[in-house]
Amino acid sequence: MTDAQPSDIRAIELYDNSAQNFVEAECWHGIVDKNLADWEAEWMPELQRRLKLLNQKNIERRFWPQSRHWDWRAKLKDIEKRLANQSFALICNGMTQAMMTVDTTKRARIEGQQTQHLIYVDYIEAAPWNRGDIASDPPLYRGCGTELILAALELSILEGFKGRLGLHSLPQANRFYLNRCGMTDLGQDRTYENLRYFEMTPEQAQLFIGKGKGA
Amino acid sequence: MARKTMTLNLTGAEMAVLEEMCAKKDLSKTVLMRQALRLYQRVEERLDEGGKLFFENEATAEKSEIMML
Repeated sequence: MTDAQPSDIRAIELYDNSAQNFVEAECWHGIVDKNLADWEAEWMPELQRRLKLLNQKNIERRFWPQSRHWDWRAKLKDIEKRLANQSFALICNGMTQAMMTVDTTKRARIEGQQTQHLIYVDYIEAAPWNRGDIASDPPLYRGCGTELILAALELSILEGFKGRLGLHSLPQANRFYLNRCGMTDLGQDRTYENLRYFEMTPEQAQLFIGKGKGA
Repeated sequence: MARKTMTLNLTGAEMAVLEEMCAKKDLSKTVLMRQALRLYQRVEERLDEGGKLFFENEATAEKSEIMML
């Protein structure tokens, strides 16, 4: 059973594309029942609507969102009692805009950091209406990925991991982690579905935090 | 997040290992003990599911099972 309330709420801002300005939002530490209800009742129908559009436009399936099969309810059930895993959700205008789960027990691979602990991002996803890669609609809110990575970095620093962060990226997100987040690309990982593995060092974390939401 | 405080009594040898590990990992005692608890819980979960814990030497491909009591 997922918690009813997040353990912590932090004020953030997201960029409202239609209003062309930043708007107040919240970062919740802990995905709760409300977030899963939003995912089920709002994200999934919108995702299906957009997949239908892609299909009608004869867009090849390899260009469809690669996270389309993710079941957040199942993911949360898997980790609900594990101390090693934590979760986050972004809320704006009363709606869940993005979610992320992380693992605190993985270790760094990058040279010079090996065996040091880091925050590993297991899953990160924005609501369908916040993605620029599904159908032609512009994203409703920009900055969801950046804010969740900032939340993971904050946790990394709080845990004493100095901002170290690691993740396997879906191909559609490679450029975001490389260019916008400034992470190091350690190449394809044959032990993890050949996804590219990215890592952020403490120095890269400070650079990314310094850039803030404008990153 | 709400925290609870406890006192931990360790032998001199245990404290020495804890301090050595903290220096090696550049972590505080609190963080290191929390990491240990997280890993212990994860290992127990996998063992309860019928899993076994192995270490593998990549160079020699030698595997050794860790006996968990």
